[in-house]
Amino acid sequence: MKVINLLYIIALTLLVNFNGNAQNLLDKLNKEFSKEPVNEIATFKTTRIGLSHSIETRKKGALEISMYNRYWNRKQGTTQSFLADEVNIRFGLDYAFSDNFTVGLGHSINDKITDGFVKYKFLRQKKNSKKKPFSMAFFQEVSYRDNNPNSGSYSFYNNNSSNSSSIYSFTSQLLIARKFNSKFSMQVSPTFITRNKDFANDQSRSQFAMGFGARYKVGGHVSIVSEYYSVFNPLKLTKTYNPFMLGVNWEVSNLLLQFQMTNARNFAKDIFITQTTNNFNFHDGNFHFGFNATFVLQTNKNKL
Amino acid sequence: MNKPLLFLILSFFVIGNIIGQQYIARQGQVTFFSYASVENIEAKNNQALSILDLEKKEMAVSMLMRAFVFKKDLMHEHFNESYIESDLFPKATFEGNFNDIENSLNQAHVMKGKITIHGITKNIDIKTTVKKVKQNYAISGEFNLTVKDFNIKIPPILSNNIAKVVLVKFKFQYLDYESN
Repeated sequence: MKVINLLYIIALTLLVNFNGNAQNLLDKLNKEFSKEPVNEIATFKTTRIGLSHSIETRKKGALEISMYNRYWNRKQGTTQSFLADEVNIRFGLDYAFSDNFTVGLGHSINDKITDGFVKYKFLRQKKNSKKKPFSMAFFQEVSYRDNNPNSGSYSFYNNNSSNSSSIYSFTSQLLIARKFNSKFSMQVSPTFITRNKDFANDQSRSQFAMGFGARYKVGGHVSIVSEYYSVFNPLKLTKTYNPFMLGVNWEVSNLLLQFQMTNARNFAKDIFITQTTNNFNFHDGNFHFGFNATFVLQTNKNKL
Repeated sequence: MNKPLLFLILSFFVIGNIIGQQYIARQGQVTFFSYASVENIEAKNNQALSILDLEKKEMAVSMLMRAFVFKKDLMHEHFNESYIESDLFPKATFEGNFNDIENSLNQAHVMKGKITIHGITKNIDIKTTVKKVKQNYAISGEFNLTVKDFNIKIPPILSNNIAKVVLVKFKFQYLDYESN
């Protein structure tokens, strides 16, 4: 009996020792790491995919100073300007009040539209987890412009019915994005647009659209992006086209540059989604070259 | 006292003694510095793990690259996304051998080992100092890493923003592996 006990104890001792020694030190350390799934970062690198917003919000205290440009040639008439006949520039400021909440303001000079937005990211995709496969954000934009006969969008509206010359448009979006792998991310954005004015020849003032966006990372700092909006109830007054964009995003330290080919010339969402009157091709008047520059200024710094 | 019980106690003592040769550091500090003409970058990881095996005279370190904290949050994103690619290579590790620790306490000596960053393993000699405070060991040291050696690409336009050689400092305080 004693011998059996002794053998048993020796065997146990050896077994424990063996276990302890056979284990590589690094394997042992690997077990110490937390198993909690972590948040996916950088589904997109920029807060705009190209035309419209991505799921991304900047970290608390980040101030984005942006200048978005669209260049295009006139369809007819004099085309004597250097490089491009027309340009629309939007100057913008975005501030991140928290890691998930951003407020922004902007004004574009060609169409004279002022816009403001809030974006709140309420769900973050978890890495290697089936529980939270998406990131989601709510986006709300308000745009304002004077509806005088000289402005481009005057003809769209029923100008007899209301004395108000101001148009306020409201764009609500739910942004749903998933980072499929380190290179490929995709976003769908159900969109609802409404205004304070009816359309001409049409009693409605609200429209529904679905946005699709994607990025493919081709290098550490460069990705190819594309975006498209499908409008479910387009204007009846004139033929409108769905906006499309194909572009390259490039980050250089604090500076984020976006180069794009598109048919959208406005920056306010309600306009370019529903009132783009030119198709996407390379003819004058249809082809727009877009160049967006965004500088990220970190107003607060982490303590190390 | 009967013999089996004696053996049992004895064997526990033996097991305890062997495992007691291992020490772990759970909140190791690893800091790196990049001094370049345009800007200086500093990042700190306070959650590096390390294990020390006195019997086998081995040391191992493992840490998550995402746990590095930068002064500017955008740098954290660029570091993980564009340079270190932490989606593909989440950890950096080190395995090293040392000579007799007890005889070289409080003096610098060279530890030879293998370091793995960004999926690339290199042999490295690291100048380290071992201290012993109340039966617990503390190891600190520093070394230089050449960014290019680890296939981390810096675009030419940013070559003045990021140093070609990065200084790494580390500090681990070990506790008995079993007692915590």
